[in-house]
Amino acid sequence: MRSSYLSILIIALIISGLGILSIYSSTYQKEGEFWQLVYKRQLLWAMVGVALFFLMSGLNYRRLWDATYVLYALAAGLLFLVFILGVVRLGAQRWLKFTWFNFQPSEAAKLIIVIFLARYFSRKSIESVSLQVSGLGAIRSLILPLVCVGVPMLLVVEQPDLGSGMILLFIFIAMSFLAGVRARYLLIFLGLLCASLPVFWHFLHDYQRDRLMVFLNPNIDPLGAGYTVIQSKIAIGSGEFFGKGWLAGTQSQLRFLPESHTDFVFATFAEQWGLVGCIGLLLLYYLLIRQGIQIACRTSDHFGRMLALGISLWLAIQVSINIAMNMGLAPVVGLPLPLMSYGGSSTLVTFIALGILVNIDKTRAVF
Amino acid sequence: MRTKVTNVLVACIFVMLGLALFNLEAIQGRQFTELSKKNSIRLLAQSGARGRIIDRNGQVIVGNRLSYDVMLLPQENGRTLELLPKIARILQIDPQELQNKLKSGFVSSFMPVTVARNIDTKKAIALEELKFDFGGIVIQPNPVRAYPYGDLACHVVGYLNEIDHWRLTMLADYGYKTKDLVGFGGMEEKYDYYLRQEEGGLLVEVDHRGRFMRVLGFRPPQNGRDIQLTLDLALQKIVEANLQGKKGCVVMMDPQSGEILAMASSPAFDPGIFRKESASAQVRTIITSRDAVLLNRAIGAAYPAGSVFKVIVALAALEAGKIDLSTVFSCPGFFNLGQQKFNCWDTHGQQGLLDAIAHSCNVFFYRTGLLAGAQAIHECAFKFGLSRPTLIDLPYEINGFLPSPLWKKISRFQSWFDGDTANLAIGQGDLLVTPIQLTRMMGAFATRGMLVTPYITKAIGNSPVFDPQRKSVTLPFKPYNLEHVRQGLRRVVSSPTGTASMLAGLPFEVAGKTGTVQVGRGSPHAWFVGFFPFQEPKYVICVFLEHGGSGHAAGMLTKQILEGMVGEKLL
Repeated sequence: MRSSYLSILIIALIISGLGILSIYSSTYQKEGEFWQLVYKRQLLWAMVGVALFFLMSGLNYRRLWDATYVLYALAAGLLFLVFILGVVRLGAQRWLKFTWFNFQPSEAAKLIIVIFLARYFSRKSIESVSLQVSGLGAIRSLILPLVCVGVPMLLVVEQPDLGSGMILLFIFIAMSFLAGVRARYLLIFLGLLCASLPVFWHFLHDYQRDRLMVFLNPNIDPLGAGYTVIQSKIAIGSGEFFGKGWLAGTQSQLRFLPESHTDFVFATFAEQWGLVGCIGLLLLYYLLIRQGIQIACRTSDHFGRMLALGISLWLAIQVSINIAMNMGLAPVVGLPLPLMSYGGSSTLVTFIALGILVNIDKTRAVF
Repeated sequence: MRTKVTNVLVACIFVMLGLALFNLEAIQGRQFTELSKKNSIRLLAQSGARGRIIDRNGQVIVGNRLSYDVMLLPQENGRTLELLPKIARILQIDPQELQNKLKSGFVSSFMPVTVARNIDTKKAIALEELKFDFGGIVIQPNPVRAYPYGDLACHVVGYLNEIDHWRLTMLADYGYKTKDLVGFGGMEEKYDYYLRQEEGGLLVEVDHRGRFMRVLGFRPPQNGRDIQLTLDLALQKIVEANLQGKKGCVVMMDPQSGEILAMASSPAFDPGIFRKESASAQVRTIITSRDAVLLNRAIGAAYPAGSVFKVIVALAALEAGKIDLSTVFSCPGFFNLGQQKFNCWDTHGQQGLLDAIAHSCNVFFYRTGLLAGAQAIHECAFKFGLSRPTLIDLPYEINGFLPSPLWKKISRFQSWFDGDTANLAIGQGDLLVTPIQLTRMMGAFATRGMLVTPYITKAIGNSPVFDPQRKSVTLPFKPYNLEHVRQGLRRVVSSPTGTASMLAGLPFEVAGKTGTVQVGRGSPHAWFVGFFPFQEPKYVICVFLEHGGSGHAAGMLTKQILEGMVGEKLL
């Protein structure tokens, strides 16, 4: 279908264009060569991303089926590498240093986990073409994949990157739900998860606990952990209906808002474009995700269907958590806004995922 | 099925995000806009100078000078702490105290904290040099009140202090805030609204560390308006120099216009010490002193008029036709009224009106007063403005008191006796007058019957003050009667036996009346109220000495003042 191909590309380009405008507006006043280059780098990432998008859209997604275990091993290996020799930045060890850029394997891990689960859940029995998962027992339908997801997840959480770890968990829950794992198992699993939350509390770092406490009440520590949330809310709220205008946002440009070009780029955008711009942006994301879900519905191949659903839901979860976090409705966890936030790994992986989506639709048409 | 559920869920999440955005941006947007402005917009206050107070010739009585406040930026805290001992040494205070001030004054990391006020120029320069190594010091120049002549005219001028609760409740509607400086007493209080400077300031945008980004707006600070007084600085200096060390007051007035040319009250105070932190003990003694240092005795205190009141009695009797210039009473040194014996301060023998005024003979005025009657005296005194405020443009003027038979009946349920009349006739008893009232009364004799409203404000800013209340009344007395009393007043000075004969040697003719007020405890109060030159009076002078001894002492002080005026060629 040419239409889905074009509309996904156009929407993605508009969103990343808005992202670059926001990144530019939040960094152009900052001194230093690094800041002057930030938006140019993001422009470069977006261009490389579009190229990868074209590449992936031409590459038959069935090959991913074959490469699943290689990819999984690659992801786990990279995460393990981060664990031993990653670059420490902002108090976290998330990056692998390559010659000219720092790669964040946890971004790639999200996509690879989606691919892995799509393959796992679309195994067919020999006699029937229908999905087999609903007939499987708890061990094979839930515990085995959980263990497979759990290994990279633990490595990610250990970095520490709680946000990406949560995304992996959410992806797992969403995909096992869609794959038809028995509701009974899912409910028990969720119940156990809730019950074990107090135990996890002990494994959290102090700053992560602070952030969770601050999420419950940002005014506990307005100049410390709560500062970002308060400033981000002020930035979004002060946009009012039509925003302060591009390059006129005081919160982001005068540096009251930390991380205004990465995790809090939405607040930067909202301050300058107001409610009108925000609703527009939400609509764009929704259309993008809807395209993905529709592609999944049109696909008869189980693997392609699960893959498309997984990618769409991953985007949906990450977009909504990031925006909610910007508005103070979710705890502050380090999560980029796909396509908008500054960051090479995230941008490239998102474009690759979109390329896969388009390819699923194209391949279906070819069948 | 599950796909559909997912589809709906995703849509729901996005709708909820949209609603949350609507709540944040549309409903609470205003509030957040305010917060974002508060974040990034700072007002750097620049205060204007309070209006000056100048004398009739434009010489500054109270002006302004620059004082320097030291502020430290806590955001460079690590570096500030390092430099605290250095700063403390320059300011000559304990580093620990400085650190406490920094801590207690902390508002936010980019708001400077004032750690010392009103430092002198030398220290300011020394700190300014430290600034090269360390940017966290801000020296803010502030115009503050300067009193070039110290306590000169302090009661007329008043002083500045932080607004108190009572004044704040009254003045809050006029834009006064807590911690504002307002005038207490005198001109500073009366015309505070005009004198008050308007704060101006620079509206600037700052970044998250409080660094300057750009100017958004500027409102120049407005200086307060100058108040020009009718006081003559040179005259005031002479008056105060002579009054120094005594307790009392001196008022000099132009009888034609009512302009106050000099007004001094003693003991005096230095208006500047109320803002000095080091002088709080002195301030306490001023406030609690039994001498009522802050009281402007010329308008704020009432005393018995003593013999000065005799001119009223004389005029009342003349007007009533009870006596004339040929009336003579004999003074044996006492006067018997029924059982009571009223004394005279001397034995004067045969006294006509002019001599009786000149010698201040009590017996003559006992008899004259009884002839005229208490009611006539009361009415006459009332016409001269006694028991009413003169409406001089200074705050806290009091009424004084004028007794009458009716008052005694109503308030004390007693009849008015002849003894009361006799007491009133020599200005004793319940009669209370303020020095400014007697000054005005004497002014009416000087101008042959014109009762003026005294005033002390010549101009506010550049426009002369026009006050419709400030009118002169021609008193309905017969000119020849007034002239008789004037002759008597002249004789007080010109007669060798007159009570103020010490003023006879001056190069101009002085007329006036002395008074000695017997008080329950301590030595008597002393009055001299007069005018000069006799034919064309230009000055009325009222000298009052609390427990000063006798009218003679007041006369001597008058002489010193007038000699001082001659010496300065003011006449």
